[in-house]
Amino acid sequence: MSLDTFIAERQGRWGALEAAIKTAKRGRLRNQSASDIERFGLLLRQTSSDLAIARRDHPDAPITEYLNTLCARAHPLLYRGRPWRLGAIAPFFATALPRSFRAAWPYIVTSLGLMLMGFIAGWLAVDLRPDLRASLVPPSLFDEMARGQIGTGVQDAPFAAAFIIQNNIRVALICFAGGMLLGIPTAFLLLTNGWMLGTVAAAVHLGGYDFQFWSLIVPHGVLELSVIVISGGTGLMLGDAILRPGRLRRGEALARVAVRAVLLALGAATLLIIAGTLEAFVSPSSLPDGVKLAIGAGVGVLLYSWLILAGRAPRRRPGFAFDRPAETPA
Amino acid sequence: MNSSQLDTISVKTSDNVTLGYSVAGLGSRLVAQILDNLVALPITLVAILLYSALASVFVTSAQGTGFADAGAGFFAGFVYFGYFFVAEVVTGGKTPGKGAMGLRVIRVDGSAADFGALAVRNVLRIVDVGAVLIGIVIMFFQPQTRRLGDLGAGTIVVRDRAMVSLAAAVAPPPVILRTPDAGPTIDGLDHIGGVERDALRVFLSRPGLSPKLRADLAADIAKRLLDRLGLPPSAPERLWPPELFIERVYLQLDQLHP
Repeated sequence: MSLDTFIAERQGRWGALEAAIKTAKRGRLRNQSASDIERFGLLLRQTSSDLAIARRDHPDAPITEYLNTLCARAHPLLYRGRPWRLGAIAPFFATALPRSFRAAWPYIVTSLGLMLMGFIAGWLAVDLRPDLRASLVPPSLFDEMARGQIGTGVQDAPFAAAFIIQNNIRVALICFAGGMLLGIPTAFLLLTNGWMLGTVAAAVHLGGYDFQFWSLIVPHGVLELSVIVISGGTGLMLGDAILRPGRLRRGEALARVAVRAVLLALGAATLLIIAGTLEAFVSPSSLPDGVKLAIGAGVGVLLYSWLILAGRAPRRRPGFAFDRPAETPA
Repeated sequence: MNSSQLDTISVKTSDNVTLGYSVAGLGSRLVAQILDNLVALPITLVAILLYSALASVFVTSAQGTGFADAGAGFFAGFVYFGYFFVAEVVTGGKTPGKGAMGLRVIRVDGSAADFGALAVRNVLRIVDVGAVLIGIVIMFFQPQTRRLGDLGAGTIVVRDRAMVSLAAAVAPPPVILRTPDAGPTIDGLDHIGGVERDALRVFLSRPGLSPKLRADLAADIAKRLLDRLGLPPSAPERLWPPELFIERVYLQLDQLHP
């Protein structure tokens, strides 16, 4: 077919596609009727097949560049992931977040292991090297123990809460983002957080203030440390995808993991709002230590029942073969 | 359109057609970033001022002042990074700065960047900007100018090519003339018509002919034209250089057959 007949025969639909692109608002085809979108899809498929013909027959003709630009504009309007809606938040927390928590368990266990290693190392350092104690543990802690009361009350608790929440969200996001640097910053943050807790816990243990100390940590710590461990796990997911991409190219392996990981990290980070509020209002309060520990235990039970139990597929009774979901080949 | 070129990427669509996108370069990415900063930094400043004003009203203790000051700093960070995230999600990958530069975020498979991908590339902005601007270094060496956030999210920033209008794309290529002057009237033009005019047009609009080949072709065409016009051996047109003759015939024919 000559270039002129090619253009004359088909330019009608190109013009129609061009007009349809102009009606898209903010890069979206929202607010268009189903039949309009169907027509858009048809026009795009026809035009991209015209592009293929033009590429083959007239690679250097201006019409080929025109068709490419047209298709390149139209393609992302039709091909896109799920749109972001406010209504998607509730199902995300109800099912998607616990599911991706469970799917990420090897990384979360590794992350927990790193934090525990830091904790044990910190504890041992304080326990075995009395000469280093003064440099490992903030000196104010010894003063407080000498006075017989650890932990001072928090003044201006709302601002303390805002500070704590923002700082922890920052740490959680850095734990995730550190995955891009092979997870090294992530591992470093997990180890140092564990180390700091370990040194203080050991010093307090030597002074005999265990109960009081843990009643200061547990109410918020159950939630806060869980979130840091989870976001550490998401960072390790990224690092692992870069180091061991399997059969995929590194970029593909990374992009596949990263979207799941970032939603888990962001979702978990929202829990830090609750943790920070507890840390500013409950942990330093004058409530009896037993009550504080009970609050921490309650939060822990709620958190892990949700993470472990929510969003599981209902167990089906065995029925006919075609009733069961198709098994995925191993 | 050629995937071996560095500044374009080819995307194979689900219809098995290859689309070419122009990749945004480091320069336009940085200018877009500067433009976005012109929006983001004032917003951040206002956020800090509001936070401090709130603190100055409600804080009652020295300890609270410490919390409020540190909190204001973090808040500034969240507002600054949040600006890019929110702007990309709301506009579908086109912050005001990118829009002004004609840039757009898409996924490497050519589809629009969705919420998850935009979340990844914006959270990873912490590393790109925070870790001694490693993002710029990586963009410099990465063939498609992708920063770590783009690599993580599977996204790429492309240039919205200016839409060539269909009319411009289908218009015949321009005629290359050495003399725009139609010259003295040539006799016998009534022997030929629009078909010959179009044939001459093809010759005259053909770029890239070597001078020798062009001269040879012109001589051949001019000889046939002279015969078709039935000009006498003494006609002055026979003395014109062949290319000048062809151009004058074309121009005069074009007037006779618009």
